[in-house]
Amino acid sequence: MAHGVKIAESSCRGCVNCIKSCPTEAMRVIEGKIRILSEICISCGECLRRCPHRALLPEDDDWDYILSKRPMALATDPCFCAQFSWPPMPSLTASALSELGFEPIFEEYEAAYDVAAIAVARAIQNSPEITKPLISTYCPAVVRLIQIKFHELIPHLARVENPLETSIDLWRARTKKREPVALVSPCPARIAMVRSPVGRDFSSAEFVISTSKLAREVLIGTGDPSKKVTIDSSTETPRWIAWAKTGGESMHVRAFSDQPVRTLEVDGLRNVINLFQELELGKLRGIDYIEARACDLGCIGGIGNAESRFLSRIKIDNVKMSFNITEQYQKQLEALYQAKVWILRDEIVPIEQMPLGEDLVKAMEKLKQLHAVYAELPHLDCGTCGRPSCRVMAEDIVRGEGSLDDCIFRLKARIADLSREIYELSKRLVHTMTPEGK
Amino acid sequence: MSEPLVLKLQVKPLDFLAAGETAAHFKETLKSLGLPPDICRKAAIVVYEAEMNMVIHGGGGVMCLQVEEDKVTIISKDEGPGIENLELAMKEGYSSAPDFIRELGFGAGMGLPNIKKNSDELHIDTAPRKGTKLRAVIYLDKRR
Repeated sequence: MAHGVKIAESSCRGCVNCIKSCPTEAMRVIEGKIRILSEICISCGECLRRCPHRALLPEDDDWDYILSKRPMALATDPCFCAQFSWPPMPSLTASALSELGFEPIFEEYEAAYDVAAIAVARAIQNSPEITKPLISTYCPAVVRLIQIKFHELIPHLARVENPLETSIDLWRARTKKREPVALVSPCPARIAMVRSPVGRDFSSAEFVISTSKLAREVLIGTGDPSKKVTIDSSTETPRWIAWAKTGGESMHVRAFSDQPVRTLEVDGLRNVINLFQELELGKLRGIDYIEARACDLGCIGGIGNAESRFLSRIKIDNVKMSFNITEQYQKQLEALYQAKVWILRDEIVPIEQMPLGEDLVKAMEKLKQLHAVYAELPHLDCGTCGRPSCRVMAEDIVRGEGSLDDCIFRLKARIADLSREIYELSKRLVHTMTPEGK
Repeated sequence: MSEPLVLKLQVKPLDFLAAGETAAHFKETLKSLGLPPDICRKAAIVVYEAEMNMVIHGGGGVMCLQVEEDKVTIISKDEGPGIENLELAMKEGYSSAPDFIRELGFGAGMGLPNIKKNSDELHIDTAPRKGTKLRAVIYLDKRR
């Protein structure tokens, strides 16, 4: 399965900084180089943040190719608009992108994000108590985290398509254009969303590139668009911009719901995992919807951004946006809702991790072996064996992928034992020798 | 019938930071055995509530997980004050937790009822000042 992280082998020094940051323990160092177990990688980007040698990179498409190819339509993540010194207004960003010869498809975003908010609000209303709170599917890393580590929460995932995909679909339907679309992604997870989507066979985007690369091109290639496009202080920014930061989606859903909705917003992978553990223990009664984002502060905190997430947040907080809509537009939205443009076609299924043995008895045997192996290890979780913890090492060993001697402490102890034995042997007298030595 | 798999962990008294770790650990163990998610969930809830009881009331104790081919057994044992009135303690919302614990958000009186709801068999052996031993069984295949 494709994931959103690329390894730059020549930069990797085999240090073990990254393997400890992985929430699903999907990383190993083998023969001095990092390896990612792609079947359990959630593309959250934590390892990219940790790597001091920039050996881990977003697995996006070749930038020079994208830059050379025209026509090319761009579907940028909302956080792209917050990357610059000018206000996060799509009209300004669109002007800069057009100047570079790209075709931004911002016009479709309003309908796509609005219909997604309505779809979520109605899904909450129609959901039985047992599957509440519903969980947002906007962050692909969170969806995959649930598929891999929180199987019980799968029925809680709101089956609503990512509005970025819906935007592309709507744009194609309206314009009938056939030019390729590149999704501009702030994180490895959105890249994985294009490469191996969940809930649909193919992404509507043909290419995917990192926000930082396009932002840099805009910064060097064009002047400040706010000097060319007129905006004044009363200009409103569309609602969808708020989805770039934590809380934006919830705000939208609450505003578009007929009933009061109790939402809970959480960001940062550690917090998300804590919350899901609590949810699995049934501790979050009374909450209707959870907006969970893998990155701190939401998508503006993605590793692929150019701008400081703190500044991005201020920019978004400072713009005016409104949730009032005209009756006519309401009818349009209703039509889109009825046309089910927002629905995630396929069911989200759990990604099963291999149990230790093929049946319970064998698995229990293996688990006993695992505990015996674990007891032999120093429990320092130093990572020198190339694995994130002694427990993972023990698991790898009973699965037949490694030996106790991979542990540097075990190896030292064995060398000490061996040298003691050699010493003892060296003291043994040969029959021709006298105790005096000669 | 193979030997049951037995795991034992010490639960410390009033250690609210570590509370829940035993449940998380046991749940991971059950998942790695390939047991169905609803069994893992039920067992985790039972362990969690029993663990909290030992943290809050029991002065800590020992939590034991036993896996056999047909069932998962959870045994918690403490040397605490025991349960004064078991019938009352089994009622939803009844709690004997002191105020400072309720202020921490625990002690809602759902512990034992939750354990009962999530297990197929429940035996509690307790008497004032004699400690509490709880044994909950979850069968893997209910049809048997």
